[in-house]
Amino acid sequence: MSSINTPLTGEDATKSMSTRETIHSYPRFLWKALGVATDGSWLFYGWMTLLTAIALVGANAWAVQVRDGMVLTNMSDHVSWGLYIANFTFCVGLAAGGVMMVIPAYLYDDEEMHHLVIIGEAVAIAAILMSTLSVVVDLGRPDRFWHLMPIIGKFNWPMSMLTWDIIVLNGYLVINVHIVGYLLYMQYLGKRPNPWWYVPFVFLSILWAISIHTVTAFLYCGLGGRPFWNTALLAPRFLASAFVSGPAFILIVLRAIRMTSDWKWSPRPARTLIQIIRISMAINLLMLVSELFTLFYTGSGHAASAKYLFFGSHGASGLVVWIWTAIGLNIAGTILFFTPAALRRGNLRILACVLCIAGIWIEKGMGLVIPGFIPSTLHEVVEYAPSLVEWKITAGIWAFGMLVLTILVKLIEAIHAKRLSPSNSHAL
Amino acid sequence: MKTMGKHGLSRRLSCLIVVALLCGCGKMSSSTTLTQEPAGSDATLAESTETETAVQHTATIRKPPPVLGAVFRVEVTGTNATSYEGHLQCAACHSLRSSNPDNSKSSHLDEFHQGLRFSHGQLSCVSCHNPGDNYSSLRLADGKTIPFEESITLCAQCHGPQYRDYERGAHGGMTGYWDLKRGDRVRNHCQHCHDPHVPNYPKFYPAAAPQDRFQPSHGKEGASHDH
Amino acid sequence: MTTNPATHLPVLDNQPNSRRGFMKACGATLGLAAWATALKPLTEWAADMNVDEFLQKHYRELKPDEKQAIFRRLEADCKAEHGVDVKIADPQPNDGVQFAYALNLSICIGCRKCAEACSIENNHDRKTNNSYIRVFEMEMGGIDFEKGDATYDHPVPQPDKFYMPVQCQQCENAPCVKACPIEATWQEKDGIVVVDYNWCIGCRYCEAACPYHARRFNWEKPTIPAEEINPNQGYLSNRIRPQGVMEKCTFCLHRTREGRMPACLEACPTGARVFGNILDPQSEIRWVIENKRTFVLKEELGTKPRFYYFFDE
Repeated sequence: MSSINTPLTGEDATKSMSTRETIHSYPRFLWKALGVATDGSWLFYGWMTLLTAIALVGANAWAVQVRDGMVLTNMSDHVSWGLYIANFTFCVGLAAGGVMMVIPAYLYDDEEMHHLVIIGEAVAIAAILMSTLSVVVDLGRPDRFWHLMPIIGKFNWPMSMLTWDIIVLNGYLVINVHIVGYLLYMQYLGKRPNPWWYVPFVFLSILWAISIHTVTAFLYCGLGGRPFWNTALLAPRFLASAFVSGPAFILIVLRAIRMTSDWKWSPRPARTLIQIIRISMAINLLMLVSELFTLFYTGSGHAASAKYLFFGSHGASGLVVWIWTAIGLNIAGTILFFTPAALRRGNLRILACVLCIAGIWIEKGMGLVIPGFIPSTLHEVVEYAPSLVEWKITAGIWAFGMLVLTILVKLIEAIHAKRLSPSNSHAL
Repeated sequence: MKTMGKHGLSRRLSCLIVVALLCGCGKMSSSTTLTQEPAGSDATLAESTETETAVQHTATIRKPPPVLGAVFRVEVTGTNATSYEGHLQCAACHSLRSSNPDNSKSSHLDEFHQGLRFSHGQLSCVSCHNPGDNYSSLRLADGKTIPFEESITLCAQCHGPQYRDYERGAHGGMTGYWDLKRGDRVRNHCQHCHDPHVPNYPKFYPAAAPQDRFQPSHGKEGASHDH
Repeated sequence: MTTNPATHLPVLDNQPNSRRGFMKACGATLGLAAWATALKPLTEWAADMNVDEFLQKHYRELKPDEKQAIFRRLEADCKAEHGVDVKIADPQPNDGVQFAYALNLSICIGCRKCAEACSIENNHDRKTNNSYIRVFEMEMGGIDFEKGDATYDHPVPQPDKFYMPVQCQQCENAPCVKACPIEATWQEKDGIVVVDYNWCIGCRYCEAACPYHARRFNWEKPTIPAEEINPNQGYLSNRIRPQGVMEKCTFCLHRTREGRMPACLEACPTGARVFGNILDPQSEIRWVIENKRTFVLKEELGTKPRFYYFFDE
């Protein structure tokens, strides 16, 4: 596993720096990176301003929610998790999906994918941040966040699945920040990255990506009192849908980079991703069908949530529209992905990506988290639809995630294009 | 509906009632009748105690409340329909007048105890009330006489399982200490919940329903209307 | 990986004079101001809090004198906020005592007196008429909550129904305790599952984990008229809860650990409720479990409830 990650020019490769110098020039790297990250076209400034504005609205809504209480959300003792945790679940999947570039690149030595794999990791970083924020805004007492930290707080590990989730999510964040940071920095210095410094972490990140989504699924399926979640198929389903939404999101990011920069690559990496999406989506739909079959054919009381979700029950049908929309989007997206046109660079591919992302967002969030609570454990039907505050905060989280992603991608692109290097005096 | 003869009898009885009430006043506190306490007031602790075994503290049974169904009306005048309610010693009337053992339903009671609600299986008055004692006591099935305040024994003749549960603390409301080593306990009497004449627990409106967020308030049928 | 513009602002003078740099600095200043404004409600919220409260340790790590200081602080807070003198006690589990509860479904009439008493005893939010007990009106013929209704509002008991109050089952194998990421909820020696309201972060994972809908969340600060505040409070039980934390039935441990009956039992007019020490062979609860055909809710989940239901034969 000594494949070269980045193309090196002869001049750069001959440069040699001591470890000491390497470390010492790191603040300068960050400083220059800041300059690059805040430099751009009017389109860039417009985009960043828009995202900042949305993030501000979200931050304000959150601050008000903390002050006045979670009563501002539409959650209740019956439906005690809502949009935040739904979004959290999706974002974890998105993060796990980032690994779908890493696997072909490193396990199958796909040379071209190697050049782009760092974008998948950047998506993973942004997605992990979004999922962490989604949990933070769901806390009734964010001021007590330190209770969650090992050693200084009280960490109910290994009993609580949530502690596992905290470990794997933070671990995944650290691993990806390390890999991305190291590779970018080496590329910035024009040095060949030392495989010992990142390849083990890349493999770890593959395992870890699977673990974050598995543990997130265990969070739900470990609860015996919630029959709708209490299924062994949940983790595989989560992974399958993550391997659709992740690559689909990366495809959109790749398209955005191609449209806004001079970075060029062949159609192959995207085609690999589309193959992955095709297979994953088929598996995802298959598992959905077998899940529904067991629920509805046996007709046990366990089907109560599914009945509410798909058809409504006791005169309540708040999620019916959501789930059928999700199914429609997923099927339409899948069909589009299976058409030959999806392999070409065109709007159809982007449309397919958007349909699948939206479909999976609903399926995993509003279609999975919410019906687990309806009917309640004592079979009371209390419905839920997110409040304006919840929408604002969730939008703010996405805006923040996109801000981070934009900056990361901008750096990646700038370093790739050598606009950011020790010799380049670009700064603020 | 009433004949003149009955009115005459009523007048004589009304005098008796007044006398009886006046006499009864002095006896109120030690009276043996079930209806000695004014209705509505909270029953105080009874003197009679039933001690549980091997503990310092006791479980006492609250004094039974008045049996509302037993309050009877006597029409005092023929022209004025005002009815008169009073509590008096059973013997006040029953020493003068023998009872009619055929009266087993409240609808049969066309002279006295009118309006008495009675719905207690196939029982008749004398199943429990003791005619041999001018009705001043109760009578067990084996003919043994027992005072009114020991009515629990009478109930237990037929309601064995309930009595057993009651004895074991598994039937009948209570307050106080679960741990009799640390404090007393006060228990309800059968009659706190069961009027002996109409022992079925009466229907009434429950305390307010929970008002959870977004919960439709009138059962599951109306769920869709509240959203 | 991302860098915070704020940390770099002061070194602006390092930079060559450029209009772009100046514009960026203005933008960053503006941005910072906007963030400060957006997050301003947080400062209003933090105004009510103090450092002691923020740094307070987990209940089980507090030393006796630290506990006393906290109880006095909470009492003072209550006095300041509601003008009510309350006493916060912290009764400990009794040796040789394991609590259990049984409920006779044959004689429960569905009057909700237990739920009402719970609300008063435990200083519940009055706006929502909160209570740890939900009474279900069930259809004869089975324990089918699907056909149950907790919001009935008509005279009880209805002839073709039976009534099933549900509250915390104080499971021996409690899913909520397992779920809590920070040990803010745990099982005490006498079997009662408690919450440290000053440690809970309000993630509501326990609420999702509970199969009995026994846990409640303080969606906002509970409101209770001062004159209705129950001044006899337990730190782990009925003290007024803060906003944003979980709460649950504690079998009224501030009463029961002192030998008294729980409030719901005392309120029950029919004696459908039986409470006591399951380790005492002479206890009423023991008699019920040994002599009645009791069952527990959702036995198949393996939660091992300490709350039993039974019917008269």
